[in-house]
Amino acid sequence: MTDCGCDKAKESLEEYLHNELCKDDASDIREHIENCPECSGEHRVGLVLREAVQRACQEAAPEDLRDQVLARIRTIQAEHA
Amino acid sequence: MIPATLERTETDWPAGSVSLLDMAEQSERHDRFEEQALPFLDQLYGAAVRMTKNPQDAQDLVQETFTKAYASFGSYRDGTNLKAWLYRIMTNSYINSYRKRQREPYLGAIDELEDWQLGDAQSTTASGSRSAEAEAIDRMPESVVKNALNAISEDFRMAVYLADVEGFSYQEIADIMKTPVGTVMSRLHRGRRLLRDLLSEYAAEQGHSVVPTAAAPGQKQGKGVSR
Ligand SMILES: [Zn+2]
Repeated sequence: MTDCGCDKAKESLEEYLHNELCKDDASDIREHIENCPECSGEHRVGLVLREAVQRACQEAAPEDLRDQVLARIRTIQAEHA
Repeated sequence: MIPATLERTETDWPAGSVSLLDMAEQSERHDRFEEQALPFLDQLYGAAVRMTKNPQDAQDLVQETFTKAYASFGSYRDGTNLKAWLYRIMTNSYINSYRKRQREPYLGAIDELEDWQLGDAQSTTASGSRSAEAEAIDRMPESVVKNALNAISEDFRMAVYLADVEGFSYQEIADIMKTPVGTVMSRLHRGRRLLRDLLSEYAAEQGHSVVPTAAAPGQKQGKGVSR
């Protein structure tokens, strides 16, 4: 397999990260990243950014929201039955 | 014909003209909804908070979403992606009602990249400072990341949320946001680029400033982060 090169790799990093590449393209990128410190660093920033967003977005709904939703749909069911 | 009094023993539904079969079906659908849709409540709430940027509005939006979903649960095909279906309903509700009467108009959201951001940032970033950048983002306080998310425009924020937090595919996001896949890609790419720049900017400021503001003690970092 020939190296896809930095330009192609950088162009595809976002899609690679989000699992949007077909198998062959993904393995080309994976292989390039393994051998290129620059693209590997770039990929790592992308991964870390995703993790930071995931951490920041963890929310638990307020306790009573579930009860309110349940009460509402049970009322609707009763009305329509 | 079955006398209406027969089934009254089991439920307190009004008699009406509904047949036993309909009632059984409705009751089964109701159970299925509680069992399958309700577990997504926390996730939908998280997305609603990101959309509305306000916990009270988020609760109202989730409530409305489940009410609408429940009413049209008959049109949901079993075995298809229920989570995406719920997100689609919530996004619609948000666009149709909440965005219109949002207290705080959408001023100052960032949706344009500055010229320097559009340039090939990679080529100007040395790999050493790139690992410092990764390290800084990795240690970023959640409050800073939340602020950065709130600072970018809604379309960018939602694309990032749906892809990075919920793990939806580009196609699923396109269906939820009712946009072509190409638009999803560009929103996602630009949104993530903006976030990265905002966070790196913050890290750089922390690295240089004397008084750390939002960072917890010991979290001062980002020295040498490249811009
Ligand atoms: Zn490379």
